[in-house]
Amino acid sequence: MPDIFVSHKKTVPAKKTFEEPKRVLYKDLPSQVHNPLSSIVYCPENLRFETMDRDEKVILFLRKHWITNLGWILMFLILVATPSLVFLTSILDGVPSNFRFVFMLIWYLISIAYFLESFLTWFFNVYIVTDERIIDIDFYNLIYKEISDANIDKIQDVTFKMGGVVRTLFNYGDVLVQTASEVPNFEFLAVPYPDRVVKVLQDLRIEEQQEAIEGRVR
Amino acid sequence: MIIPTGFTIWVVIKILIIIFLAIYVIFSLVLIRQVQLMTKTLEIGFEKQLQFFSFIHFLFAIGVLAFAIIIL
Repeated sequence: MPDIFVSHKKTVPAKKTFEEPKRVLYKDLPSQVHNPLSSIVYCPENLRFETMDRDEKVILFLRKHWITNLGWILMFLILVATPSLVFLTSILDGVPSNFRFVFMLIWYLISIAYFLESFLTWFFNVYIVTDERIIDIDFYNLIYKEISDANIDKIQDVTFKMGGVVRTLFNYGDVLVQTASEVPNFEFLAVPYPDRVVKVLQDLRIEEQQEAIEGRVR
Repeated sequence: MIIPTGFTIWVVIKILIIIFLAIYVIFSLVLIRQVQLMTKTLEIGFEKQLQFFSFIHFLFAIGVLAFAIIIL
């Protein structure tokens, strides 16, 4: 005899008996072939720095967001355009033509020097996060450089700041790292994706603590 | 009548320009050294291009100095 009513058994999802393994951000990221002009690179393959250990692995490479260069690029363009504008006026009419030409060349020399210095300052002021430490490389001027580093296990607090229209629009901000080492504060200024940087640092800290508990300290 | 003042002014300016350009050549040499040190500190894969640019800048500075000595 056919059933008139068959109640459907409610399928209750089984309770999870174990927690899903926590995603570690930097380990999920593929190694990247390093674009030298990039502001953020995960696990760069061809990056070396002066104090790097042989078995040290670079996790994160950072420098200021490219948009921060806009100011000096505009200034450089104004510098390049200035001689043409000056020659349109009659300001230098009393100056002999050979002097005028040399003045123009000197002006362009100074403009190129300004461009090179600004570019080099942006290009070489970098922050590196390895699996063991964080490194801040600063070139202040032509002949003065400062390299400071702190072990990951010395990191006490990591915060990031992001505010303002341009920073929100281009997604960059400052990451402040407080440490218990000789250099108390590391400031990763105007770096892209500060939230991801903080996450990577957090993952590395947890991993370092795990290693310390398991006695796998290098 | 020759007015020596005008003549002297341009000679003084020429000497000042040449001194400035000589200092600039030294600066461009320091820049080459700076790039060398920077690329030694941090190898990113852009070293040859940067060294090339700094060397071209140095040659340009020497060229302007030589040109100024000849033309002025």
